[in-house]
This record gives sequence, structure tokens and C-alpha cells, in this order.
Amino acid sequence: MTPANSTIYKGKTGQWAFVLHRITGFLVFMFILLHVVDISTVNSPSIYNAIHRLYGNVLLRIFEVGLLFGLCYHALNGLRIIMIDFFPDSIKNEKRVFIGIFSLSILLTVVGGVIILKPFFVGGVH
Amino acid sequence: MAIRTLSETTGRAKTSQRRSRQNFETWSWLFMRISGLVLFFLALFHFFIMHILNDVTATNVTFVAARWKNPLWRLSDWLLLALGLLHGSNGLRFIMDDYIRRPSTRVAVKSLVYGLAGVMFIYGTLTIVTFKG
Repeated sequence: MTPANSTIYKGKTGQWAFVLHRITGFLVFMFILLHVVDISTVNSPSIYNAIHRLYGNVLLRIFEVGLLFGLCYHALNGLRIIMIDFFPDSIKNEKRVFIGIFSLSILLTVVGGVIILKPFFVGGVH
Repeated sequence: MAIRTLSETTGRAKTSQRRSRQNFETWSWLFMRISGLVLFFLALFHFFIMHILNDVTATNVTFVAARWKNPLWRLSDWLLLALGLLHGSNGLRFIMDDYIRRPSTRVAVKSLVYGLAGVMFIYGTLTIVTFKG
């Protein structure tokens, strides 16, 4: 087996895709833990509504945009992993697909980010 | 390691003579792919509804009560909870196996993570089941 015809790990884009996949996966998992706790207050409306008013704060809205990026990247890169697993020949396009999904994640985050952050500056929602 | 196995099975390895024996890691691999695909739609759609179509401050108790009147939304939220925690704790298992070298520390951290995921699963399930709008 020579490196030319094998799929030996060579770093570069695949390495960064892998590292980012782990980091975003870890962070999304941590958010799920927090999310289970905040939703559990739903039987005490005053606490639940207070928490969701707090989520309207600009810092937590930025956190929300970060979650959007983590979700988008992890979801799209997950599809890339499945693609490589089930169609091993597609590893040839691995780099282009990574650039594609990364750009799409950024695009979705920017568009979603504007929608998420806008109410804080425009007001009216509180 | 997984990459080498892949090239072995697609390369010149004698696949015809090999009896396929699925062990825990094979099922774990398959579970991650299937749950990942389901979560792709569930999680992104959930985020879209709760954070893009509706502002986070608008998703108050009244909003949840209206939404959870339909048991299908409760089911969808419960699926997100169950699959998210399982997919996430299995992902954390890979990370813990990679970075925690001392066996005693690994057992301790794994117990903590699995315990926390289990408690969160029960806690979340109770929240979804016991809520009365």
C-alpha cells in the first residue's frame, strides 16, 4: 500500500475539518445539557420567561449565533464524512467539499446572525 | 485506524473469505451515521423554527404550551433529546478515548459524562411528559 493509492491521514484540510468537527460537537453537546435545564423550568412560567428574556441579551444572542455556526458546520461536515465513508472515491474531492461546506456554514451563520441579532438593536421584541 | 480498515476492505483484502462480524464499534459507527442524518434535519429545522422564524424572547411558556398541544411536537423534541444525547455522548467517548490516557482518570470522566447524559435524558423526558399547558 503506497500513500498514493491509500487513504492515509495526511493532515491539511482533513485535519482541520476533523478538529473543528470535534470542537463544534463538544460545544453543541454542552449546549444540550444547558438547554435541558432551561426547558425544565417550563412548569414555573415566571422563571422560564425570565430566562428567555435573558436570552434576548446581546451577549447571549452572540452565543446563539455561535451555536448556529457550530450546528451548521457539524451537520454539513457530518454529511461530508458520510460521503467519504460510503463513496470512498469521493476522497479526491474532499478538499473542495470542505471549502464548500465551510463557506456555506459561514454564509448561513451570517444570514442567520443578522436575523438573530437585529431585534436587539431594532428593539420591539422585548 | 478506521481509515486503514476502509482501505483494506476496498483494496485487495480477501473480502470474500472474510466473515463479517459486527462488534460494538461497527454498530457505534453505523449509529453515528444514521442518528447524524436524522439530527441533520431535526436539529437544523428545530433551530430554524425556534431562533430564525421566532425570536428567542418570543418563545415563552405561552409559545411552548401552544406547540406542545400537538403530541407530534413533543415526540420530535423528545427525539432531539434522545438522539442528541446519545450521538453526543458517543462522540465524547471518542474524544475521551483519544485524550485521556490514564485508565483511572478515563473511567472517572466517562462515568461522569455518561451519568450526566443519563440524568439529563430522564430530566428532559420528565419535562416533556409532565408539562400541562
